[in-house]
Amino acid sequence: MLSVETKYFGTLCCRDEAVFDFPNGLPAFEREKRFVLIELPEDAPLVFLQSLTTSELCFLAFPVLVVDNNYRLALSLEDWSTLELDPHHSLGLGRDLLVLTLVSVHQGFSATANLMAPIVVNLKTRCGLQAIRQDRMYSHEHPVGSPAPEAAC
Amino acid sequence: MLVLRRRAGESLLIGNDVEIEVLAITAQGAKIGIRAPKETVVLRKELKITQQQNEAAAQGLSPENLKQALEKLRNNSKNNPSLR
Repeated sequence: MLSVETKYFGTLCCRDEAVFDFPNGLPAFEREKRFVLIELPEDAPLVFLQSLTTSELCFLAFPVLVVDNNYRLALSLEDWSTLELDPHHSLGLGRDLLVLTLVSVHQGFSATANLMAPIVVNLKTRCGLQAIRQDRMYSHEHPVGSPAPEAAC
Repeated sequence: MLVLRRRAGESLLIGNDVEIEVLAITAQGAKIGIRAPKETVVLRKELKITQQQNEAAAQGLSPENLKQALEKLRNNSKNNPSLR
């Protein structure tokens, strides 16, 4: 167990299995190389990616399939190699790989998710990265949780 | 936006000291060479966008606002089939 200073929840005890290494950091946060995944039943499916270096840094995230249940992952050869995975192996999202999308909360608490650059973690090694897609399949500002049009009765 | 047609081996000049050369064009994409001064930052646009998105996401919320935002997200997600 690990005692972690968090942005939102004070000091929490976290399992070592919830600690992920990001050898390259994240874009704009290159020095942040260790994060802990905080999953609280009352906030599910939202999860928190808390930095172990900076207690003030905590990202809100959704499992990518929660935002788009048809999401297709695309990793570059470099990403596969950082994750120490074989690109020819078929992998299960959620089983072998944890794939999260970071959430930005805007004014009025509307939120968007960055589906263009998901956080991908190899759950065996707990090594992760932010995989920036080269294609234009997904938006970096995908609206989440926006009210759906009134359903017809 | 200025649109130009260039073939492999042809170049463009931007200002006095930036040269963009089309090295090869394949079905997978165009291979581009860039000659620019060391102090000129060259980034893939997706990387810049991701940096900006991460900075926005890191602003996040103040701990006091978290509860309110979560409440709203949760309420909205009830109405949103994509967010079960």
